[in-house]
Amino acid sequence: MRCLLVVASLLLGSAWSSMAAEVTVHLSDGQGHAVNDAVVMLTTDAAPATAPVPERPVTHIIDQRNETFIPYVQVLRPGDKVVFRNSDTTRHHVYSFAAIRTFEFVLRPGESSPELSMDKTGIAAVGCNIHDHMIAYLFVSAVPATTMSSHGGDAMLSHLAPGHYTAHVWHPQLHPGHPEPIQKVTIASDADVLHLAFTLSLMPDPRMSMDREHLDY
Amino acid sequence: MRTMGFRLRLALFFVATLVAVQLLTAGLVYEVTRRALVTEGERQLTANAQAFVAQMDDISARVAGNVEVLSLDYALRSAIAERDRGTVLSVLRNHGRRVGASRMLLIDLDGTVEADTGAVATAPGRFPFPDLIDSAYNRRTAAVVALDGQASWMVVVPIYAPQPVGLVVVNVPLDDALLTHMQQLSALPRDIELAAQSASGRWTVVARGDRRSGLVDSLSAAHHALPWKPLLTKVGGKEYMVLAQRLKQPKQGTPVVAVLGYSLDDALSPFRSVAIAWATLLALGLGVGLLGAWFTARSVSRPIELLATTVRRIAAGDYRAAPGMQRHDEIGQLASAFGSMTEAVRQRELRIRHQAMHDSVTDLPNRVAAETIIDHALAADDGNRGALLMIGLTRVPEIVKTMGHALCDRLMRDTSERIQRVAAGAYLARASDTQFMLWLSSADQAAAVAVALRILDVLNEPYQETDLSIDRLPSVGIAMAPLSSVQASTLLRHAEVAQFAASGSASALSFYDAATDPHRPERLSLMGDLREALDCNGLSLYYQPKLDLASGRFGGAEALLRWNHPRRGWVSPEAFIGMAEDTGNIHRVTRWVLASALAQAQQWIEQGLPLHIAVNLSARDLEEAELPERIGRLLSIHQIPASHLTVEVTERAVIGESDTAIRILRRLAGQGIGIAIDDFGVGQSTFAYLRHLPVSELKIDQMFVKHLATDTNDQIIVRSIVDLSHRLGYRVTAEGVEDQGAQDYLASIGCDHAQGFFVARPMPVDAFAAFVAGQAGHVSAGLLR
Repeated sequence: MRCLLVVASLLLGSAWSSMAAEVTVHLSDGQGHAVNDAVVMLTTDAAPATAPVPERPVTHIIDQRNETFIPYVQVLRPGDKVVFRNSDTTRHHVYSFAAIRTFEFVLRPGESSPELSMDKTGIAAVGCNIHDHMIAYLFVSAVPATTMSSHGGDAMLSHLAPGHYTAHVWHPQLHPGHPEPIQKVTIASDADVLHLAFTLSLMPDPRMSMDREHLDY
Repeated sequence: MRTMGFRLRLALFFVATLVAVQLLTAGLVYEVTRRALVTEGERQLTANAQAFVAQMDDISARVAGNVEVLSLDYALRSAIAERDRGTVLSVLRNHGRRVGASRMLLIDLDGTVEADTGAVATAPGRFPFPDLIDSAYNRRTAAVVALDGQASWMVVVPIYAPQPVGLVVVNVPLDDALLTHMQQLSALPRDIELAAQSASGRWTVVARGDRRSGLVDSLSAAHHALPWKPLLTKVGGKEYMVLAQRLKQPKQGTPVVAVLGYSLDDALSPFRSVAIAWATLLALGLGVGLLGAWFTARSVSRPIELLATTVRRIAAGDYRAAPGMQRHDEIGQLASAFGSMTEAVRQRELRIRHQAMHDSVTDLPNRVAAETIIDHALAADDGNRGALLMIGLTRVPEIVKTMGHALCDRLMRDTSERIQRVAAGAYLARASDTQFMLWLSSADQAAAVAVALRILDVLNEPYQETDLSIDRLPSVGIAMAPLSSVQASTLLRHAEVAQFAASGSASALSFYDAATDPHRPERLSLMGDLREALDCNGLSLYYQPKLDLASGRFGGAEALLRWNHPRRGWVSPEAFIGMAEDTGNIHRVTRWVLASALAQAQQWIEQGLPLHIAVNLSARDLEEAELPERIGRLLSIHQIPASHLTVEVTERAVIGESDTAIRILRRLAGQGIGIAIDDFGVGQSTFAYLRHLPVSELKIDQMFVKHLATDTNDQIIVRSIVDLSHRLGYRVTAEGVEDQGAQDYLASIGCDHAQGFFVARPMPVDAFAAFVAGQAGHVSAGLLR
């Protein structure tokens, strides 16, 4: 039921896109590989004209299957809820020390956490204290033009009014401490279709079932 | 021998070769080993440097692993995430102790130091090595940093909660203890130092291994730079291979290097025992070699020295073989060759000595050998008696000329056999080509004569060969010892003189008579005395008057030389005239006689006695071409008519003499000087021959005159000579008239002059003057003739 809803909303979005300016962003790493799971966000440089229309909060399910959080990155609107569901046969100790929301659940197999409301914008890294390699990100953004790169490393933003924007890219494996990759974007008219490309310098995927001991050797 | 002996040289050569080869080998091995060690050192150093780096990485991995484990600690994560600085510090301290870190830091994602367990003084600021933080997310990051003269190993580990929330920096001190520990755990060289470069570029040691070799100090003093490739250098007087290895470092960090040393001395130390063993072996080998060489050389040189001794002995005439030479090697062959050579030389010497001492024809000892034997015999017993017989075959030269040497040799062999047959036991030798000598030891005169007669008997038997018979005409001269002499050589001469005398005599046997020996040695001194006498007027002339038989008066005189020797008294003319002829003094004698006689004749003429003077000339005088001129000069000086002078020459002087003599006689005759042939009748001159000579007078030899009174044969001969002479126009003088009968007979057959003791003895000038004065009447009458 919830799934259907999500699909419907996506379809709706794509129907809009044909009617206003579009920005497509291609993301690749240093080796030219497409980068998925990146969050692309266009912020307008002008003062927000109007407060965004509050949408109906959505409940996102972060599944845990095969010792992996699915999805890896989840974009949320402030006020959205999130539920952690353990579909594995082992326990998971889901936690986050994120500034926007600190939580901690021990989920037995088949157990789901209570709904968790994410009200503040920001990023919450979620880990499992039992399985070091399990990590997921909750990207809480109030910016309407926020999307994620799909397979192929492309992200598309539509319904954009002409104006000056800044394109932000976030990825869990971006180097901490490095400046955030941004690009200035100017949309002249509704008919504009702009193509942006980001080359990201990424750290290794921490979800790999790997042993950090042997990272180098 | 006093120079370097063969033995020593051989031994030294062996030893020198041994030493040279060993030293060369040792040097070669040392060089090869050293090179191998140097190569090995380079390899090891390079490997060690890499190993050191790997070891450091291992340590960092261990530390990092520990830190990572600690980073996953939920308490720490929550403490960090919740910015609980106090908790974080305590956790860091706690874990720092666990991993052996001296200091731990927590760094913010943006590089700000959040917490530091180390120096409290360090105010929170930025971490000085941002590149370490950058790489820490991608790979395990560790680097060496030097701070305040201390080196440390800095490991940077990110903290995930679960996203990176910060980084933990672990400082592990790199101190002497750690290096020593690493050395103990691995094959790191003992010489290792960590050096940091100061701002001035100077390298200072920040840590070192368990040996304080001072590599860095030495290197920076000597080279001012560190070797990035293996370098051979001296450190503290020892040889080292040195290599500097850069260590992983942050970009802004002070350069830190590890300097590794490889001690060649240490590497060589296992070989030292080998070298000692080698040297011992060499010394041992040298000793054994020396000894062996010495013995070998001795076994070679000993026999050679022995041979040399033997050869020296052989040179001295000792032909005994070298003793102890029973060897079968080359030396033995040499010794045996020496032996056979010695034997050959000995044989040859025997033969040569035999030849030297023996006559090859008769195989009898020769004269030299015989003299030695006789001398020995005479010396053996003082006063030993003996007789030396000289047996001569007068006809031998004639036989050789007629029949040849071969026959003569056979004849001589036959002769020696015959003598040996009759004189068995006596010592026979061949004295010369024509003579044998026979030594009769202890024989007296009678025995000697007996033997001599036996010898003469057998030798008088003619030598017989097929249709050939030869008479030998032997003669024997005998000299007695010690009567004659006790010296073989003198005895020999005496025997020879006697044999010479015997060869002319009828008996063919003669004893030596010192009185008649014309070859006595003193005659040599006599010549000197004679010359002195000539110079000092030591000679005098005696005059023997010649009686003119027809008138009974003394018309002339023969000048006769007399010598009153100051020591020997009167010396007979026979004794010194022949000698003067032989020695060439006769010319001076003749000159003196002529001068004196003619001077005397002048005196007599001046005294009114114009006497006819006869002077004897020697055969040698007739070889002098200027004799006629000299006589002519003398005659004119003394104003004497040439007809008053007659020169007398013997038959021998003119028979068979050269044309020169005859020419001189002719010239003398041409000057008017009379020529008389002395001693006529005993020689071989004939009237037929005399006819060619300018002879004016013949003097019949006294042999025919002595017994003229009684011997009818002599009378016939003398009368015939006188008759024949007169018919040929010669005047005749008879010599040796010793009695009245002879004088009467001579007068009866018409002989012109008589001379002799009966007529008048030779007398000195004064007596002659008185004698002539006593016959004054006769004289004047004679002079008229």
